[in-house]
Amino acid sequence: MKKIIIFISLISLSCLSCRKEKNVIDGPSVSEIFSSFTILENFKASRDSVNFKNLESVYFTATFNKIVSWQITIVGKTSKAVKVIKGDGKVIAVNNSTWNGTTTTLPLFAKEMCTATLSIKDVTPVYEVNVNVTEPKVLTGFMIADFETGLNPGWTKFAQTGANMDFKVKTDSLAPQGKNYFNMAGTVNWDYLIGLIDFPATAYGASVTYPLSTNPNDVYFNCLIYGVPNTNQSIILFQFREDENSDGTLNANNEDQYDFEVKVDWVGWKLVSIRYADLVSLSNGAPTTPKGNALRNPDKLGKISMLHLANPNDGFASSKIDLIMFTNTKPLEP
Amino acid sequence: MYKYLLIAMITFLGFSQLKAQKDRKINFVGTARSLMNSNYLSVRDSIPDTASVKRNDGGYALVDLGVNIKPNKNTEILGMFRIRNEFGGFWGSGVSFDVRQLWVKGVVANALRYQLGDLNLKQTPFTLFNHHADQIDSMPEVFNLQRNIVSYERFYMNNNTWRMQGANVDFGLSFSKYLKEINVNAFLTRVNATNFTSVPDRLMSGYTIQFVQSKNLQLSFNSNHIFDVKGTVANDNLFKSSVNTIDWKLKRDLARKSFLFGGEIGQSHYQYTNDTLAPDLKDYFVHAYAQMSIPKWNLTGTIGYLNVGPDFRSIGAQSKDINYNAVPVYFDRYTNDQRIRPITLFDVVGNENIYNRTITTSLMSENQLFNQVLPYGISTFNRVGGYAKIQYKNKKGIDITSQYYKLNEIRGQGSFALRDMSIFKLNASVSINQLIKTKKLIALQVGTMMQTTNRSSDQSIENMDLKSNQYTLGFRWELFSNFELMLGYILQQNDGHDYLPTRNGYTEITYFNRSDYQVKQELAAAGIRYNFSSKTYLCVLYQQSKFTDKLNISPGFSINQFGIIYNITL
Repeated sequence: MKKIIIFISLISLSCLSCRKEKNVIDGPSVSEIFSSFTILENFKASRDSVNFKNLESVYFTATFNKIVSWQITIVGKTSKAVKVIKGDGKVIAVNNSTWNGTTTTLPLFAKEMCTATLSIKDVTPVYEVNVNVTEPKVLTGFMIADFETGLNPGWTKFAQTGANMDFKVKTDSLAPQGKNYFNMAGTVNWDYLIGLIDFPATAYGASVTYPLSTNPNDVYFNCLIYGVPNTNQSIILFQFREDENSDGTLNANNEDQYDFEVKVDWVGWKLVSIRYADLVSLSNGAPTTPKGNALRNPDKLGKISMLHLANPNDGFASSKIDLIMFTNTKPLEP
Repeated sequence: MYKYLLIAMITFLGFSQLKAQKDRKINFVGTARSLMNSNYLSVRDSIPDTASVKRNDGGYALVDLGVNIKPNKNTEILGMFRIRNEFGGFWGSGVSFDVRQLWVKGVVANALRYQLGDLNLKQTPFTLFNHHADQIDSMPEVFNLQRNIVSYERFYMNNNTWRMQGANVDFGLSFSKYLKEINVNAFLTRVNATNFTSVPDRLMSGYTIQFVQSKNLQLSFNSNHIFDVKGTVANDNLFKSSVNTIDWKLKRDLARKSFLFGGEIGQSHYQYTNDTLAPDLKDYFVHAYAQMSIPKWNLTGTIGYLNVGPDFRSIGAQSKDINYNAVPVYFDRYTNDQRIRPITLFDVVGNENIYNRTITTSLMSENQLFNQVLPYGISTFNRVGGYAKIQYKNKKGIDITSQYYKLNEIRGQGSFALRDMSIFKLNASVSINQLIKTKKLIALQVGTMMQTTNRSSDQSIENMDLKSNQYTLGFRWELFSNFELMLGYILQQNDGHDYLPTRNGYTEITYFNRSDYQVKQELAAAGIRYNFSSKTYLCVLYQQSKFTDKLNISPGFSINQFGIIYNITL
């Protein structure tokens, strides 16, 4: 045993005593980071105009003498939509700067001229190029409501008779997509509920259930919600009621209902997405056991209810919603 | 509510005590502590600070009451509750009621020992070990009063262990020939719990198999694995980190000298199963040392060799006790810009908020003010070199220890040039009362630590040079029976510059930030302690701390603190 240990020790020491890795370094080169900045290849777009509807994309290029933190900010001149692409490195190329028409800050891009601005951390000059969007990106998925044609007659709307009630489709420059959105506002000092809309599957065709995948991991529910500044907190509750036996009747006692509660604690438009598999059953905001088979079956979804709620003691509450839709395999990329 | 809980508990304990006195199946353990302090901040900025609150008074009283139950000779249960009351709050506000400890341990068939619940775990310095890398070796006793509270709060009581929750078993086999015994220890703990969406359950498992040939020869196999549990989230990308090592000790007595040859070698593998961006890090380390003791001269000398690969990762051994990103408990922001106050000696000595109770799941930040050479103890990766230690300790109360480390990087960081590093430590303590032959304690301790790091490169921008000097001085004098005067002083200076790496979640370096230092820190304290017994004391303490940065990167400030500590260990 002793000989083995001494042998191991001597071999290890003799093999390792000279270990130095002289041809590799950890991290970026210090001399590069701390040298002065120079742009070696000017900032350019790969094309002047782009048709996102035809699945075209545009990418940007530039080369620097050192590793930098860079940011490309694309702004729609009409819509004021913003797309931000960030990175670290010496080269901006197709692999790190491709834009396929998506938006970082809502609203969505429209058919418009856009300006792409390259800014680099700790460097004063900025670099600009223009890109003309001939057709914006087409959103794929099952559209529940974008309010562009008002309210679908198959939907059911209910609004309380509170003060300053404004529970209707509006058309103004705040719309994040198209021209319309749905406004939900009012004061109801006796109940949490301010108003609701039911979206039954039958509003979209003859089927009593939504045409969704059977796999709850593949189905995402998405919507754009606007938090109104200087108002009390809105709560938007989505109820997903499954018609498990597909008989056209939603039985609350023996069929599942799942919920998604959104507390609107931000200002401006925001994309909210949830995977169907992550929906939970709630009772007065607390988790509860579903009444049916306790399996999330998106293909059995019979009705979605959207409730606008607020604490009755708080007073006036307001929020807006648009682009309610399901997407497949991943959240909506507006 | 708390009143009823308190009454119920006291009643229960009263009856339990009667039972306990009868057959000793129930024992009570615990601690009571009251701490009261008053802190004053003064800021030295170019513009007078009118935005920060300058005074912070407060304190608390707490009782940790543990019930140790032995339902049979093979089983032991401990449950410890904590009642804590912040001064100024009573009967509700400011009062908290928590479970502090809970474990069950026992012996199965007089052979297999087990423990479930809270565990204090330690393996080897490269597998699972709390190095306390940034602590001051020669801490004056007056500062230890606060340091001991931190240790108690963070369960550092058994040195170098980490507090974890899980299960631990150990057993041994004895032999009559060739091998004396084999000892096996294994454990499974939960490092962090899943949130059911994005964070998976992360567990740590480990084992040590120790072969004891005789009292002079031991060999151990050590294994430590940290892994995500598949299925606890929908994501298939799982983290795995494993460290496997062999350590040995060989003792020999020769010519009235005692020799010890020890060491550890091993390898690590750090990976994500389904992440194309994640690196697959594999590396190894060697640590070997030889120690010679000469009892006649009261001398012990050690020389060692250390080689830890740049990609060696061991979460259990490379977790730090201090979290430098934590918020200090007093005066977390200062100056008119309300900047975050840097963590200083004042916090390192006695601020429990910045200390971790258990290991972390990612590589923690280092702080060059406190440790620029071995921020993760001897398991710091990317180090090769040697060290020497010598200790003189006699029976007359003189203890002198000196250490010297000379290390290099193995792989350059941001440069092909490698850093050279060294640490020199000299600590001495003298029991003056033994020298002058008086019974009342008079003790003096002094210490110094000097760290240097430098790099010379063809590219002058890559050159760096950083020095750190630390001096400590402590004095204790038992003026009257059980009545002690304690004095302490720490001075620390950092000069130079270095490039501090920014790392991503995979521990890879993504950027370097230049850090310049001309920092001086001083901490001085005086205290009077009355020891009611070895387990109970009352102490009055006054402490001054001063932070000065000549470059004004962090404006200077001072914090003066007056405190009273009353501590009882049951």
